[in-house]
Amino acid sequence: VQPPEKPLQAEEWNRLRESFRSPEKFEEVMFNSMVRCNSSIDVAKSLLTHVAKSNGDIAYNLLVKYLALCVQQGQTSEIRDVYDIMKIRFRVLESGAYNLLIRGLSNSDQWRMALTLLEEVKKIMIPSRTNYESCIKAASRHQEMNLAFELYHDMLAKDLVPTLDVLQAFFDFSRGMKGAELQKELFGILLYLRENQIYPHKTFMRSIKLWFESIPGANWTGHLTKIKDSGQCPVCNHQLEESDLTEEEYNNLRERIIRDVIHGTDTFRKTSPQEFEAFQTFVESRLPFDIVIDGLNVSHIKPRKMQCENLFDAVNCLAKENVRLLVLGRKHMLINSSNWKREIMKEMQNKADFFFAENISEDDAFLLYATLQSGKHCKFVTRDFLRDHKACLSDSLTRHLFRKWQRGHQIVFSPSAEGKHINFLPAFRYDCVVQTTGDTWHIPYKDAFEEKYSYRVPRKWLCIQQK
Amino acid sequence: SCSPSEKLDLDSWKKVMKSGLQEVSETVPENKELSTLAQARETLEMWRLAGRSVPENISEEQLKTFMECPSKSAKKKYLKYLHLKELYKKSDKRKMDEKRERRLETQERASKTDETKRSSFVCLWANSMDRAYNWRAAQSMIFGQPLVFDMSYEKDMSIREVANTVRQIVLSEGCNRRSVDPFHIHFCNLEDNSLYHKEFVKHYREAWGKLLITVTDQCYTKVFPKDKLIYLTADSPKVMKTFDHDKIYIVGSMVDKSIKTGVSLARAKRLGLDTAALPLEKYLLWNTGAKNLTLDQMTHILLTLKDTGDWKKALEFVPKRKYYGFVSKP
Repeated sequence: VQPPEKPLQAEEWNRLRESFRSPEKFEEVMFNSMVRCNSSIDVAKSLLTHVAKSNGDIAYNLLVKYLALCVQQGQTSEIRDVYDIMKIRFRVLESGAYNLLIRGLSNSDQWRMALTLLEEVKKIMIPSRTNYESCIKAASRHQEMNLAFELYHDMLAKDLVPTLDVLQAFFDFSRGMKGAELQKELFGILLYLRENQIYPHKTFMRSIKLWFESIPGANWTGHLTKIKDSGQCPVCNHQLEESDLTEEEYNNLRERIIRDVIHGTDTFRKTSPQEFEAFQTFVESRLPFDIVIDGLNVSHIKPRKMQCENLFDAVNCLAKENVRLLVLGRKHMLINSSNWKREIMKEMQNKADFFFAENISEDDAFLLYATLQSGKHCKFVTRDFLRDHKACLSDSLTRHLFRKWQRGHQIVFSPSAEGKHINFLPAFRYDCVVQTTGDTWHIPYKDAFEEKYSYRVPRKWLCIQQK
Repeated sequence: SCSPSEKLDLDSWKKVMKSGLQEVSETVPENKELSTLAQARETLEMWRLAGRSVPENISEEQLKTFMECPSKSAKKKYLKYLHLKELYKKSDKRKMDEKRERRLETQERASKTDETKRSSFVCLWANSMDRAYNWRAAQSMIFGQPLVFDMSYEKDMSIREVANTVRQIVLSEGCNRRSVDPFHIHFCNLEDNSLYHKEFVKHYREAWGKLLITVTDQCYTKVFPKDKLIYLTADSPKVMKTFDHDKIYIVGSMVDKSIKTGVSLARAKRLGLDTAALPLEKYLLWNTGAKNLTLDQMTHILLTLKDTGDWKKALEFVPKRKYYGFVSKP
């Protein structure tokens, strides 16, 4: 239905309503379309008046829809009126109405009222992160940074994840402001990005850069750059952090992988206790390896080639300079077939150690175990992103550790090598995460706002240094 | 369109809404602390008024379950479930009432015409059918091929999943009883006072003790020789070629709404049993959906295989939405 252009009289509404195919839903549908077409609120009011006069009451859902229209058009006094009416009529309100009220009021000169409403919401439920977002933005827009940060910490304490938008707002509205406390809080946000391995997008990165450069008397300058493979920043020549885990983190991760990924709820799901034990003794007797290869995964790199040839190329390519290789495979690879030639398999076994798991076991779990058992220097080769294994880890802290370790230890097949030879990209020597030394900051950022793949690591960096 | 004399008072709805103020504030004492349960009830009522999927009536117990839901989305899901349940119940009741009315009408008409039909049989269909079925089921308990339902998955399921499982098994038992040559059904690993057991009693009531099936808390490996057992699981690397009348097939009594791959395969591996999967890919052009089928579908398929050995006929019981059609030349 198309909402009318002008306010209508009662009879005119009645006529419209009767011509509508399901009259009992007429008002609801009409309000929805008013919100969609952004009709003038006078039209909506005339419908409300009609409903109030014919029923003596207006249903809650109609009031909420009217409220949505008012919020959409920033009609502050109407929003307040609707709130007053709702408070008279209903003992409690539900989240939909509160969302609208908070959003509507936080964008107006009565933004403090939104804060009061937030307190009201807290009494009956945990406010949503968008509720906080509205209030934080309102406070920082009015330069009440202390209040904004108070809300921000309150939100974090409730385990709500702030949107990048809110974080960006802090940098935008603090531009040019002075104060040690403020600076500490904003650095805190950057460290939050670091701890949660979040990469800002381009516009957010720009806000960070502008804020740094606007701090009076601090002489920060920012440059956009790409980090060299060696891990050195071309702008300030600073060497980025290595991606190594601490001893404690490393041991922790190894134990969790064994417990959550390999054993999980039932060791039989991915392997069997006998097989895992056999694998453990095999690995212990030949430690340490330098590179562990997921044989089956690598054998599929070039689909036109025989699978064992692919593996053979990969092993040859990696087998330089006395590195000790371990290839993980499955038993079916040992049976002479069109894809697995016995001679080639034999020849490979002279260059690397091989372990063949049962055909129904999961070799990825073995890959992780062998690599972690070999020590910090050991890398692994697979094109798999290992997301399902990461998902098996039970807490987010360990998942972050896993991602960090994976970034620094996974060797992937280079996609650019279209030619005959197989090429590998070395694992990152530096850790791709927000980092600081006090007088420098290095911040990796994503090009697009919406990055499709969470496992992709950005290549672009913002280098900020203090002169 | 309107002349100034009939100018609308656009804010008059506010007056109407505020006019009730006096009465309302009298009946509702201000600042009265509400108990958390009452508060939740009120919030639910507001959601319902706002047009969300919320049940009209909610019991104390359901309200507690609702409050124990760990997240907002879990709460929403639970409410939607209750809401739908309520709708189904309502429409069932409506249909029942309509049916009763229609029956009364026809009865009235029949009594008016007063026609008595002559027939050589007494009308006792349901009863005698039951007796015939039971006779067959009793036969199967002596001579029939065993079919095992493995009841050891309680820990892998939520309460609702267990309830769904039992529902599917009840259906399975029903279709087995009505078949020409029923299986001898075994419920193995079924412990007394387990969730499974409680749900069964809820479904069957007094009939639970009279079912013509074998219920045991023992494992199938204790009841049958190991080399005769075949565990049916969609994760099995082996594909079933023919139905073997000498083997004992095991079906895992599990509904798996989240993805728990390899749980039943792990059971079979642990006990060193043979496994098999249905040849779904071989006979059907698969469209969407998981390869794991419901327990009653499995029972239908196995019964058909046992009676006819015809894969095409048996796999008709796979839901139509899951495949495009049959492979022309398997």
